Amino acid sequence: MIHMKNLKKIYDDTGTIALENINLDVKKGEFVFLVGPSGAGKSTFIKLLLREVVPDEGVLTVNGRDVIRMSKKDVPYLRRGLGVIFQDYRLLPDKTVYENVAFAMQVIEAPRRLIQRNVNNVLEIVGLRDKYKCFPNQLSGGEQQRVAIARAIVNNPTILIADEPTGNLDPETSWEIMDIFLKINAAGTTILMATHDKEIVNVMKKRVIAIEDGHIVRDEMRGRYGYEN
Amino acid sequence: MSLASVSTVAVSLFILGMFTMLVLNLNKLAENLESQVQINVYIKEDVNREDIKDLEGIIKDMQGVENVTYVDRETAMETFKKRLGDQTSILEALEDTNPLPESLVVELKEPAMVQTAAETLQKYDIVEEAKYGQDVIEHLFDITRLLRIFGFGLMLLLAGATLFIISNTIRLTVFARRKEIAIMKYVGATDWFIRWPFLLEGMVMGLCGGIIADIFLQLGYAEVESKIYNTLAFFPLIPADPFMTYISIGVIITGMFIGAMGSTISLKRFLEV
Repeated sequence: MIHMKNLKKIYDDTGTIALENINLDVKKGEFVFLVGPSGAGKSTFIKLLLREVVPDEGVLTVNGRDVIRMSKKDVPYLRRGLGVIFQDYRLLPDKTVYENVAFAMQVIEAPRRLIQRNVNNVLEIVGLRDKYKCFPNQLSGGEQQRVAIARAIVNNPTILIADEPTGNLDPETSWEIMDIFLKINAAGTTILMATHDKEIVNVMKKRVIAIEDGHIVRDEMRGRYGYEN
Repeated sequence: MSLASVSTVAVSLFILGMFTMLVLNLNKLAENLESQVQINVYIKEDVNREDIKDLEGIIKDMQGVENVTYVDRETAMETFKKRLGDQTSILEALEDTNPLPESLVVELKEPAMVQTAAETLQKYDIVEEAKYGQDVIEHLFDITRLLRIFGFGLMLLLAGATLFIISNTIRLTVFARRKEIAIMKYVGATDWFIRWPFLLEGMVMGLCGGIIADIFLQLGYAEVESKIYNTLAFFPLIPADPFMTYISIGVIITGMFIGAMGSTISLKRFLEV
């Protein structure tokens, strides 16, 4: 699914090494936590997968696509195989729940009948079927994040990438989100989640990759969070 | 897309079109004059009719001469009156005197021969002056050259201004929709899918501005045409049909092209995610 070899990323404008000597393989259906202090390189790691930034050295393949040598016009097709969730949900405030989710399919020009079926399906998965007419500001934070999850999975991505999805949520709501993730993961979708949530990582006992100062310092199956907060 | 930006685009395109029309018309005039293969040979006063006849014969035998016509003073006056049209004040000032000389109108086969022929004719004693309008043509070419340079500079400037106006207007729309654009990028929309609505907006702005500019250009040209027809009938204005059709289409295409470029520019930054 994801293959990284000797990956290195230097930011041109500052010359800082964001990531270096990254070697990693993530297989289909894995559930991976990405941990580490703020500014360690987790965000760059995610941006590399989405090809928001291009690595300077090494090998990076995602879903069998060579992300480094890929031409600009292939980037959208790479991203169609990836679902992304952010800490701040990033929903469109003037669209309803249904429209926010359908939007992700409309912009890749999916057929209308398929849109209706898939959107209803994913709203069922995240438990928001009855709130499809609501606007984001009528929903709680947890519900908004569930809409974002629905939007991320509506195009059936093989990998779901989540950047601190529970960062703005209370512990109880966070667990609701994790339950949805487990459901999605059980259906075969690979999940990669960057987080600072110690409890979640420790309880779930999934693979944990720790990044510090741009290097992978730990990569454990059934790992623990390993930091104090 | 606001009324203000469309009208500014319209004004720019109007001036752009106006300068194009001006330059093209002056070019036409210069070419017209240049292609005239006619020399007016003015005869000195009190020259014997026989001597003029002799000269006429000599000219007729010259190489490259198509035709020679003798014009007496009365005929010259008639032509002059016709040319003046309504401007009778000059005639009134003349008070029935006729200051016009006799002349021979020499028509040549090739415009290239005009200069040498005129120089040869000038040498005859009875010839006051052999004129073929070279100085006028040269002046005109100077003017068109200047206008062309100036007009080209102005056109670039105006095109730049139009580009700026359109791209700024589109930038506002793009900025208002930047979140939407970012999400579109993340879920894998192609750049073209994101781009075309904005491209369309820019092109519609150019189209609207172009149509407004065209309306005023058409009205303006018709007005100028009738004015010139009344006062400067000898000025060969390019006929509005089909000239104005080409100009109109040109203005609209230019507007739409600039519009498309403007939106491409303002979108560029937002597409780089």
